[in-house]
Amino acid sequence: MPKRVSRASSDTAWLAVLLAPALLLPAALILMPALGAFVNGCMQDVTFLPRRWAGLANYARLAHDPAFHQSLRFTVLFIAVSVPLELGCGLLLALLMQAPSPLRGMLRALVLVPWAIPSAIAGRVWELVYNYTWGPANYVIKLTGATAVNWLGSAEGAFLALVIADLWKTAPFVAIILLAGLSAIPERLYRQAEVDGASFIRRFYAITLPLLRPVLVVAVLFRAIDALRIFDLIYILTAGGPGGATASLSLLGYLYFVGGDFGYGSAISTFIFLIALLTALTVVRLGRFGKSLQ
Amino acid sequence: MVLLSSGGEQRLRNVLYGAGFCSALFFLLAPVIFMLLTALSRRPDFLGNGYSITLIHFREILTTPSLHFVRYCINSLAVSLASAGITTGIASCGAYAVTRFPFKGRTAVLLTILSLSMFPQICIAGYLFRIIAAAGMINTWAGLILPYVAWIMPLAFWILISYFAQIPRELDLAAFVDGCSPLHTLVTIIFPLAAPGLFSTLLLTFIFAFNEFMFALMLTNDHAARTVPVGIALFQGLHGEIPWGVIMAASVITTLPVICMTLLFQRRIIHGLTRGAIKG
Amino acid sequence: MNRFVSQCLLLFICSAAGFFVPGCSKKETPVVFAVGGAPAEIDFWQTTVKTFEERSGIAVEVLRQPTDTDQRRQNLVTALRASRPTPDLFLMDVAWIAQFAASGWLEPLAPFLENSPLSRNDFFEPVIRTAATYNGTLLALPVYVDAGLLYYRKDLLETYGFSNPPELWDELVAMAHTIIDRESRKGNELTGFVWQGAQYEGLVCTFLEFAGSNGGGLVLSGSSPIVATERNRQALAFMHDVVHREKISPVNTGIDMKEEEVRRAFQRGSAIFERNWPYAYTLHEAEDSPVKGKTGIAALPRFREGTSVSTLGGWHIGLSRFSRHKTRAFSLIVRLLSFEVQKASALEVGWNPGRIDVYRDPTIMEHLPHLLTLRDVFAHAVSRPNVPWYSYLSNVLQRRLNAALTGSMPVDEALNKCEEELRVIVEQYSMRK
Repeated sequence: MPKRVSRASSDTAWLAVLLAPALLLPAALILMPALGAFVNGCMQDVTFLPRRWAGLANYARLAHDPAFHQSLRFTVLFIAVSVPLELGCGLLLALLMQAPSPLRGMLRALVLVPWAIPSAIAGRVWELVYNYTWGPANYVIKLTGATAVNWLGSAEGAFLALVIADLWKTAPFVAIILLAGLSAIPERLYRQAEVDGASFIRRFYAITLPLLRPVLVVAVLFRAIDALRIFDLIYILTAGGPGGATASLSLLGYLYFVGGDFGYGSAISTFIFLIALLTALTVVRLGRFGKSLQ
Repeated sequence: MVLLSSGGEQRLRNVLYGAGFCSALFFLLAPVIFMLLTALSRRPDFLGNGYSITLIHFREILTTPSLHFVRYCINSLAVSLASAGITTGIASCGAYAVTRFPFKGRTAVLLTILSLSMFPQICIAGYLFRIIAAAGMINTWAGLILPYVAWIMPLAFWILISYFAQIPRELDLAAFVDGCSPLHTLVTIIFPLAAPGLFSTLLLTFIFAFNEFMFALMLTNDHAARTVPVGIALFQGLHGEIPWGVIMAASVITTLPVICMTLLFQRRIIHGLTRGAIKG
Repeated sequence: MNRFVSQCLLLFICSAAGFFVPGCSKKETPVVFAVGGAPAEIDFWQTTVKTFEERSGIAVEVLRQPTDTDQRRQNLVTALRASRPTPDLFLMDVAWIAQFAASGWLEPLAPFLENSPLSRNDFFEPVIRTAATYNGTLLALPVYVDAGLLYYRKDLLETYGFSNPPELWDELVAMAHTIIDRESRKGNELTGFVWQGAQYEGLVCTFLEFAGSNGGGLVLSGSSPIVATERNRQALAFMHDVVHREKISPVNTGIDMKEEEVRRAFQRGSAIFERNWPYAYTLHEAEDSPVKGKTGIAALPRFREGTSVSTLGGWHIGLSRFSRHKTRAFSLIVRLLSFEVQKASALEVGWNPGRIDVYRDPTIMEHLPHLLTLRDVFAHAVSRPNVPWYSYLSNVLQRRLNAALTGSMPVDEALNKCEEELRVIVEQYSMRK
């Protein structure tokens, strides 16, 4: 009996020791800063003003700050446009990767290329692609006889430019997740349907989509949150321009941090955190709702 | 809907597949090829102007001390390797504990960790700056490694849990009976069995750390610790206008090894990614 | 249990060692001097510093910063905000000094000046008074002073019978059209007028010039900033029109055009008029420049009801309060602001030295007669608001002005929104002390 007690207590000790670093480090460097940001949002924390308690002043300022509203609009629009697009393209890619073909292995390898390239570098490459005078995008457009697009210099152009570049960078990730989901669908279902004479479009709607639903939910969750926190591409490609039309919430927060107002920057980032939380809960809810319908 | 004959459907499928395959390949690779072409071109506006090949951009980026590119590469490698190693080490201990010692609140712990990976980076960046600055670690390798380890931990944790959970418990129980400590068991029994999983985790954590941008941007201020992505983002040339050739040469030097590594280990990476995502 | 404890210890030590070992390698540290700007300027700093190192035996590292002004500031703010000991010395745009000073990042220079060959009377008195001093404390010294100028192609203007550079913006537009038309018949495609329009600090400078030359500008009286005036509207509409209606400025003016892009366009010989800082003159007149001998400079044009106005720019040198070797760093300041180096900077990179005595030097007068023209320009220079929260104000201006300039927002709306936002900023940062 005493032996067992000591065994159990040593188990607990081991558990604590093995698990502690894995929990404490993220707690100290992710959870604490996030909570710190919330508290800091209640401070007047500007490099050139005395640091002091400001209550909810920074949060209240969000309500009537046009720059913040512009950022919020942009970010929401960006999520709304880019996530469905990425899912669509990702699904197409995944179907291509799954189709039995000698080229399948090649595609499965190459699809990782955009994913593996640092987004900062991807941003610079796309900056080149979108160059107004000699970039390949406009070169091709001019070859077809159309007028060159002012990619990074007009609000619509810059938005489109970002969506395309982000699509390039992230559709592969979506495709990989969806591919895993596709592979889990039993082959016999398809064969059965084929015997029943269903066309492959019909099979896609009747079998693939419904069975893929849980994986799709995961993909939507990942992508929505990623689109919400988009920063690297924008910092490099447009720096929020033209005229603040593409300043994402993350970029706005960053600009306040480096500008010296940590209080307001923190308020903005806490707001982003709340939206992320809300998005996650909504997606998970919707996913479960879909499941219960089946 | 017109019913297609089996042969007709097959042909249509082939055509669709071919078209899809080609456009996918073009979309995926065109920017990378253009990057390579620009790096090797004497001028960036070669489309319609004639192409002349040169290596001067590569020479310039590698031999100009004031551009610090080599230093950025060293920083990036050191920071990413250390982050990947430490993360995988710590996460495997944690994953082992979670899969081997049943305890109350296990699900809560797992969910908390999962939710940590969802935190937008900007939410922590500001206060993180404060912490790292207070520790006097701004612009040092350690000042990047610590946040990276914390940041990538959830991912590594989840991947490893899914691998460790597959290893039969009888194996380490046997070792236990022989009087081995859990740490010993982890290293001698579990690590060899989960080697592919560990390797996937190392690869993924390395790539994540290597590609990270915002922390590196905010927590470094010069070449002492600045990583390649930030270096390339803030790149300034020797000749005034944006030196596209040199920037693209730097990009090629940086991405080529990453791409090779990815292609070489694509199975492992896809495995790791889908484990991290789906099992979560 | 013993083994358990030792294994744990080992585990933690290993991971801790991984964190901290690479970070600490402190040896004899050089004075770090952060500079940025055009390539020729960096070369100049490097050679100057090298001579200093040889003479004084003090090691100096020239730290190359981004060329982009905003990225340069963000970079310095990161280091200073974290109380980093480096960089010890740095160049600051006049527009940053108030923020840096109010944040307590700058070492007061008066005590160092006392026992040095430098004195504050060596420099332009108004610059020291309005830019380098904050709340009565001297915190920076001018390395060079800047003001916007009009560069024009003497040869082209003469060919088409224009004996003088344009005095009015309308004249500039008309001249540009004439020359572009005639030259394009010869197969020579020209751009009329290149200027800084990208979304960055330079855009604020050019706007203040366009607006100022129409009798407008930015007024910060009390807590209500005034910018949405009829005169500013006309000026901003003009900036939009030269790009989109008259099409004499490149269509990427609002995206890419910063100092160096503008200078390169003119220097290639593809532009007739250029708005730039004085540094471009020496580069345009360099041996290998296609526009050598063809470059004229003049005060910027004006609108009918205004006078020519230039934005006061320039860079000051500051000493970090967190520097670990302030005395050594200050001896570098003394060297950099010596008559010899300041004169060399005028001759080699075309700066307008902060020291007055350089302007009386016969060699300077012989090689750089245009410095005389510049004195007139300086007389009309307007400075940007000297407030610690200038960067926020500038962000708003950059964003809204760029939106109007690129046509993504009507001019009226942009100015109204701008004023509305500025009010929020002013309320936020100015009232409380």
